Amino acid sequence: MMIARKRSPLAALAFLLIALPARAQHLLLPMDDAQANHLKAYGVTFSALTDGVRAEWLLNYRGGSFLVPDLPSLRRASALAGVTFEAVDGAAVAAIRKEIADGNMDAVPLEKAPRIAVYTPPDAPPWDDAVTLALNYAGIPYSRIWDDEVLDTDLAKYDWIHLHHEDFTGQQNKLFLGFRDAPWFVLARERDLGTARKHGLADIPTLKKSVSDRLRAFVERGGFLFAMCGATETLELANAAKNVDIAGPYSDGSPMDPDADVKMDWTRAFAVQGAHLEFAGGVNAMSDIDGHQVNVPSRRQPLGTFTLFGFSAKFDPVATMLVQDHRTVINDYYGVTTSFMRKVLKPGATVLAHEEGAPWVKYIHGNYGQGSWTYLGGHDPEDPQHNIGAPPTDLALHPNSPGYRLILNNVLFPAAKKKPLKT
Amino acid sequence: MSAHGLRRSARRAVVAAGTAFATFTTLTAITTLVASSPLPAQETSVAAPLVAAPLVARGLEAESAGKNREAIAAYRAAIAAGAVLPGVLGLERVFSVLAQEDSLLVALDTLVPLHPRDAQLRGAQLRTLATVGRDEAARRAYEGWRDQSPTDVAPYREYARVLLFNNRAGAADTVLREASAALGSTRALVLEVAQMRAALGLWREAAEAWRAAMIEEPYYESATVFSLSPTPPPARDGVRAELARAGAPLGATQALAFLEVAWGAPRTGWLALATLAPSDTVVAIWRQFADEVERARAWATARDAFVAIDGARPDPAIALRGATAALNADDAAAALRLVRRAAPAIDGTRRLSEVLPIELEALARLGQATEAERVLARAGAALGEDGVRGYARTIAWAWIRAGDVARARAALAGATLSAEDAVAGWLALFDGDLAAARLALRNTEVPGQDAISALALLNRTRQATSVSIGTAFLTLARGDTALASRRFESAATDLPDAAPLLLAIAARLESARRNEDRALALWQRVAGQYADAPEAPEAQLEWARGLRRRGDLTAAREHLEQLILMYPKSALVPQARRELDALRTGAVS
Repeated sequence: MMIARKRSPLAALAFLLIALPARAQHLLLPMDDAQANHLKAYGVTFSALTDGVRAEWLLNYRGGSFLVPDLPSLRRASALAGVTFEAVDGAAVAAIRKEIADGNMDAVPLEKAPRIAVYTPPDAPPWDDAVTLALNYAGIPYSRIWDDEVLDTDLAKYDWIHLHHEDFTGQQNKLFLGFRDAPWFVLARERDLGTARKHGLADIPTLKKSVSDRLRAFVERGGFLFAMCGATETLELANAAKNVDIAGPYSDGSPMDPDADVKMDWTRAFAVQGAHLEFAGGVNAMSDIDGHQVNVPSRRQPLGTFTLFGFSAKFDPVATMLVQDHRTVINDYYGVTTSFMRKVLKPGATVLAHEEGAPWVKYIHGNYGQGSWTYLGGHDPEDPQHNIGAPPTDLALHPNSPGYRLILNNVLFPAAKKKPLKT
Repeated sequence: MSAHGLRRSARRAVVAAGTAFATFTTLTAITTLVASSPLPAQETSVAAPLVAAPLVARGLEAESAGKNREAIAAYRAAIAAGAVLPGVLGLERVFSVLAQEDSLLVALDTLVPLHPRDAQLRGAQLRTLATVGRDEAARRAYEGWRDQSPTDVAPYREYARVLLFNNRAGAADTVLREASAALGSTRALVLEVAQMRAALGLWREAAEAWRAAMIEEPYYESATVFSLSPTPPPARDGVRAELARAGAPLGATQALAFLEVAWGAPRTGWLALATLAPSDTVVAIWRQFADEVERARAWATARDAFVAIDGARPDPAIALRGATAALNADDAAAALRLVRRAAPAIDGTRRLSEVLPIELEALARLGQATEAERVLARAGAALGEDGVRGYARTIAWAWIRAGDVARARAALAGATLSAEDAVAGWLALFDGDLAAARLALRNTEVPGQDAISALALLNRTRQATSVSIGTAFLTLARGDTALASRRFESAATDLPDAAPLLLAIAARLESARRNEDRALALWQRVAGQYADAPEAPEAQLEWARGLRRRGDLTAAREHLEQLILMYPKSALVPQARRELDALRTGAVS
């Protein structure tokens, strides 16, 4: 039997129902507790930018709300996504602007949807990536890149690159300690060895160092880089170890340089200096950068909560954007790298979130060359103990996740139009 | 309440529970006095001389009588007479009831230096210090004990237990790590390690420790279940993997099965046990599990467990419980098999009271009316006339299920049915007497989709009679879903106020028959012609699903969007959003 395919008159009716109410001048997407779906609100705002519509990010105003023009397409997108919006007329917008002008708030124009790339292997690994989960859930499009794309293409075509779980020291997160015979581990190793040979490189550590250097150069030339979990620590180590062997014999057939610690060139790293490498091959840790050391039972630290810092929205808008949230205290979560020891941070690194009284911090940001980087420790904000093989987080069950908001803040922040600082 | 107050109340609850066993404790304490284990020669013994025994007994009697002041005096005298340990433990209980734990510290400050290696005295000191909130002093006391006996497991164990009891899992972790370094492993502390990991939310690691503990001591399965049942859903697969790991002890498998029940997945729990080779131990575990799922009203799982038990160790009582579970699970065929398996081993009187009702009910639900009448006739002599009449309703129900309304009525001849009897209600419905059916069926407890559909219809329409509806439900009762679907569809014309519901019933029947084309056409009719009906969101969702299964993802997306936009208050909207996301991200095709 044939089923009618033409657009039902109901669709038109539905569209009219959305469009009919008296049009206000703007829609406010509140980002405080009034919002039903915080994560998808980022997606709606991003879709506006993609369609060439200008939006504003009202920093520190009701949890970092978004202001978009009152367009039927945006009402429809919000309704479909379950995003709460409030129609506001000119007078209401004026009142909001006055409130913003009088407090530690600011309105940042968002002009252009950033071009996003996520560094992720072509075949799905047995863990999930919180950023791809967040982007997929929010409906934000992105490109997937892997070693070939990083080495062979011009990364300048992207505004924002995300790294998650990859081990840039080329030691596959030392998972050979427990998974050397697991099919997925063997396949990943063979795949990376093949890529290395294709590019005339001797082994996986050398391949990953080359990739790290390209990523470093991307930031140096003005790109935005966001990393989580093990990518943060290992990118630092790989870049600082450009001419030093820091990989164990399992990875490249030769032992680590015994003087590696003193040969590290920390000027090439974004965030860290003076860290110490882990020389014991049987210890599943790379260095003393991570405060929690989740994979070393004798060193593992319990999870606490971390607190987001408040910044001056008018004088420090970038840091303010990165910490927009409807909660300031968030439950911590483990990752291959969960946190960053304060003692190894460069003086220029801005701490965005820390754990009260602990020697580590959770969320950091800084500039490097013309660009900037942001590191968020941990693997999945809604899965504190995430284990290999555990099912991926279903974000439909966490539409108001304050931890995932931090990831999406990073996605939108490259869209912000740079304003001259008020002095 | 402060943390200190909470600790004290929790402790008092534990101690109060202990006093309920004071009589038993009296005997135990005296036995302890007489046969205390020897202490190292260099220390003064905490075991009591026999002269102290009457003092301890007096203290216990006063304690059990609630005469706490007298008990304190007696215990103090017992300590002075040399019964140090029973006296201190007695004081600990009494002071706890009086919320005066700090009074014990004075005595302990004197006694512990005299008996520095006595683990029970040290333990009492740690517990008391923690209870009164002197955490730093407790830590110092532990460190002193540990430094004195660094290779003895007792200081680590006692302090870790105190910390875990006071919800200080992180500090317990530190102590256990010290134990590991000092003792070379935490093998002797595996229980504390398991509890600590669970308290820290390290669920998989906790499961690993419990599994290790049960290799030596299999009776910890209940403690394992208690400890791991709070595991949050995302972490449960890790726990499952640990407890189901190859070579895991039987206790781990048992714990996993009971955890699954606690997590709302009794079927999965049974699957963990069902593959075990039957032995006396395994059958005993199966019995425990069957009791548990029976309590949880997980009837289908209970049925399977009883079947397995009866298969391994035939037992008519178990078979009867299995038959009851099967009936509750709406599995009349299994109920009939089980009850007939049990019958030969049951004597005549019990057969009438326990076997016959289940057998007749199962036959009735299966629509085997002739067989039901034959079984009843065979039992007629024993039952008597009144007894047979008592089953008239069951026989009538059997004929209804067989679709023979006339014989159902005949079966009811002479029986008295209330106006609200479900059998009377179904007969009225088949006759098209909607008003009588509405009254009779409103309290029906008969399970099944037919009953739900009937109740929904009777609540929707205001009409008093409809022959076409009666015919449709009768056809459904006879099991002819294809014809029933068409009759519900045509009945929609006769009952305009219930038309979308009738079309939805027809569509669901077609979906169950996997007749996708007709189901889709019916859903399309509901969504297109009755956009304001309660069934319209469901129709949009099912229409979208049908289109998706055909590969028309664009049209499927349109219908999901229509559902969300047109029925924003519908309970189906979250599901529609989820399916829309899945379409967008390519999670389905």
